[in-house]
Amino acid sequence: MATLFKKDWFGLLIVVVVSGLAIAAVKPAFLSSFNLYVLMVSTSYMLIIALAQMIIIAIGQMNLSVGAIGGLVAISFSGLMEVHQISVPVAVLISLVIGMTCGFLNGYITAKSGISAFIITLATLYIFKGINLGITEAEPFYNIPETVKNFGNAKLGNTPIPFLIVIPIIITFLMWVFMNRTETGRHMLAYGNSVQSAELIGISSSKVVITAHVISGFLAATAGILVVCRLQLGTPNIGDSWLLPSFAAPVIGGAILAGGKVDVIATALGVLIVVIISQALVIFKIDPFFVQIFLGVMILLAVLVNRYREYKQEALRKIFNSE
Amino acid sequence: MKSLFSIVASAAVVLSGGAFAGSSDTKVALVPGGPHPYFAAWEKAGQDAVKDFGLGKADYKVPAEWDLSQQNELIESLVGKGYNAVLVFPGDAVGTNKILGELDDAGIPTAALAGCVEQPTKAKMCFGTDTGHSAYLGTKQLIDAMGGKGKIAHFTGFLVDPNTTLRIKAVEKAVEESGGDVEIIQVIADIDAYEPADEKINAFMAAQGAEVDGIVTTAWVPAVVAAQALTNMGDKRIKMVGIDHDEVVLEAIKAGFVHGTMLQNPYGQGYIGSYAMDKIRGGCTFKANAPWKSTAQTDQFIDSGTVFVDVTDVDNYVDAMRGISLEILKTFEGDFLDC
Amino acid sequence: MNKKIPNFIFTNQFGLLCLVLIFIVIFSTVTDGFTSRFNIFALSRVIAIDIMIGLAMMVVILTGGLNLALGAIGVCAAMFGGWCMEVLEIPIIPSILLMLGMGSFLGWINGFITVKTGVHSFIVTLATMSIYFGFMTMLTEAEAFRRLPELFTDFGSAKLFNKYISPLLLVSVATCFVLFYVFRFTDIGRKLIAAGANPEAAELSGISVNRMFIYCHVLSGFLGALAAILLTTRIGAAIPSMAGQLGMDWLLPAFLAPVIGGTLLSGGKLSVFGTMLGAVLVTLLTNGLYLLDVGEFWIRFFLGIILLMAVLLDRTREYFTLRKVIVS
Repeated sequence: MATLFKKDWFGLLIVVVVSGLAIAAVKPAFLSSFNLYVLMVSTSYMLIIALAQMIIIAIGQMNLSVGAIGGLVAISFSGLMEVHQISVPVAVLISLVIGMTCGFLNGYITAKSGISAFIITLATLYIFKGINLGITEAEPFYNIPETVKNFGNAKLGNTPIPFLIVIPIIITFLMWVFMNRTETGRHMLAYGNSVQSAELIGISSSKVVITAHVISGFLAATAGILVVCRLQLGTPNIGDSWLLPSFAAPVIGGAILAGGKVDVIATALGVLIVVIISQALVIFKIDPFFVQIFLGVMILLAVLVNRYREYKQEALRKIFNSE
Repeated sequence: MKSLFSIVASAAVVLSGGAFAGSSDTKVALVPGGPHPYFAAWEKAGQDAVKDFGLGKADYKVPAEWDLSQQNELIESLVGKGYNAVLVFPGDAVGTNKILGELDDAGIPTAALAGCVEQPTKAKMCFGTDTGHSAYLGTKQLIDAMGGKGKIAHFTGFLVDPNTTLRIKAVEKAVEESGGDVEIIQVIADIDAYEPADEKINAFMAAQGAEVDGIVTTAWVPAVVAAQALTNMGDKRIKMVGIDHDEVVLEAIKAGFVHGTMLQNPYGQGYIGSYAMDKIRGGCTFKANAPWKSTAQTDQFIDSGTVFVDVTDVDNYVDAMRGISLEILKTFEGDFLDC
Repeated sequence: MNKKIPNFIFTNQFGLLCLVLIFIVIFSTVTDGFTSRFNIFALSRVIAIDIMIGLAMMVVILTGGLNLALGAIGVCAAMFGGWCMEVLEIPIIPSILLMLGMGSFLGWINGFITVKTGVHSFIVTLATMSIYFGFMTMLTEAEAFRRLPELFTDFGSAKLFNKYISPLLLVSVATCFVLFYVFRFTDIGRKLIAAGANPEAAELSGISVNRMFIYCHVLSGFLGALAAILLTTRIGAAIPSMAGQLGMDWLLPAFLAPVIGGTLLSGGKLSVFGTMLGAVLVTLLTNGLYLLDVGEFWIRFFLGIILLMAVLLDRTREYFTLRKVIVS
């Protein structure tokens, strides 16, 4: 079983390396230090966005409001600094709390009402987005402090590695530890696998659901803050385009929407694949409309491949059982 | 910007000679296509028009999203609420005509503002930047700055915006006229939101930054993002001509990363547009021989003006704009209206 | 649906009807212009389209699934129709049939993939949404079809009943009656509900659940195309942005109407007239909020709150009716 799991992300890694090399062979500029920098910047917040969705997929639910939370946090973060003159660390802290509160609301209402998270997060999507638009009247906040701007532009020494990617990498690592090495993480997967059996072995379902949503809110908030650092302004439409990629990466990474099976590393590689492809489409001057078709086809292919592998595993198991 | 508003406003009071002291029952709704910083000046313009021309109301009402149906729903509810004149940035160059026709049937005059609807239309006029011409002039400026040769990239806005196609064609035209030494190597459209703009413009810079000699941007957000990208890269080799007056763009001009910008006149659009609506409700009609301009979409176009500023006059851009607005207002009634 | 003429008072529909009436009274006394001819006509048109969008989602929710690609299907059908009428100059009636065919076909693809792969329709339609929309924008180059036959576009502006009501509303209400008849009185309708309510049991009793699910997706595509036809006559042109980016602007009305109307997301239960009343209520509230001047930007916030309240109230109501049954 362990080897099969390894194969899970090993295949994706091969896809990443091969596609990277193939693009570089045709367009050497792809491996230029500036391009690698741009690539890593896009990867940095996409990684967090994907993890924010992944943890909800782990418990067999979905969170449509990831983008709306990110957007609300982005404008709160920049508004706190511009309008209320709050210092950067405090603003970060308050923004993260706002994100976690949004996540808590999602989790609490879902857990207590028993209504599907889809419909709850659809409602909160409009509530969070509505608050965002109501506060900003769709006007961006421009006056972002220099420290934040500098953070968004900084590189690690002379390398092309953006400072922005450091936090996402740390978070990805922590998420891996959380999902694979902690009791709460394992409870989440167990809950996602089967709600009934999880409750039978004494896992509190509302605790699991609320925790997952709070973490999702925290991650969405982090992504929102990173995007503000990157764009150097707080615009209300941050988060509008997150929905599709947030599902694409975990699903390409082999996550099963019914819950119980997610892989942090595979999700991260899924993000890389999405980012590399989006960039390749620009580099090769491919019709911008293709980007959408491509993401859709990728998702479908990924679920088909996963299905196929499940069948094979099933078949293997049967052979072993019969022996 | 504030000074621009007050100067135009006080000038208008002088011009009108207090003739508008009585208040009319005209209630103008200024409806953009969706939330966008470009239109923000309309709000102040409407308020000033109420003050200076004695309108009943002139309110800035924004659809929460760029969506024709939402815009229609908003306009319908505004009419239900008693607004009796509508200035609208068309959500679609033809689709918006339907509702304008229905408003006309209900006795409500309308005009297209900042972007035109295609004829035949019931809109009384189209009052906006001649976007094609502005893009053309901007590209000319860029080609001059590049010394008449090199490779250009063009970044522009929503494909659903009726202006976008005009801009793409105008840039092509300016390039053709340069006599073959200038080439457009890429047009990136549909990036009038910050996240996709940032992603695509940076990916472009990374892949083709070394080849490109000039950038022309013809929409607000791409101008901001491209100016920021050049500033971050510290690149002064690539020449860029932007559009509009976002702080980021103006700062980049002062710092030398951006060659210049094509200013538009949203304040004047809202201010003079509200004034015109009131006049029409008061019984004025457009003259048969009014000095209309023609565009690809309409032959009832009035140019709200556009002006190029670079590092030499960027500090005085407010004056540049004021000049245009005053000029239009001074001759508007005499040139266009039969009262 | 299968209850024997229940106490109508305890049904969701009755509650909705009361709410609709209460809000009509409130808005007509509090706001100017709510009862004006212009406003009522405009409302009738918006309601017509929202009912149709709601019905299109409702029939997929019946299977316990959903159809995120609904808006994309609608736009594809509209653009296809625009192409037929403007470029190929096909007469109106055949063009409408072709549009409905296109919608049904795209719905069939959704259903086919969902059933054959066993993947949840959420992820399937998430993918097809971007594929359909992407192909549509690529083929049309995001150019609208604007020279549609006048007879077609005039239908969207026509006014009936002393100029108060749009004929679009009649189309939607008629569709409601047809669907109601199908689901309540026909064999196929009962099979569709049975398949959604309990797939295993339905399969055992000889119903092909997979086929029923595909039918639901086809019907969803058909109704989505119908909604798009109404919207096209109203706008007077077929425009790629008519349902927003990726057609996602349809999602809120699509879920609001059936969910408020008492359709269960887990599948197996639907309410045609509940959906209709849900759409009426949502449109009334949106219009009322605009007239009350709460600020355009807060409208979405309130719609979100309304959706949340509706599902929570529905839960409470279910809880109490259940207890009543147990108690009595």
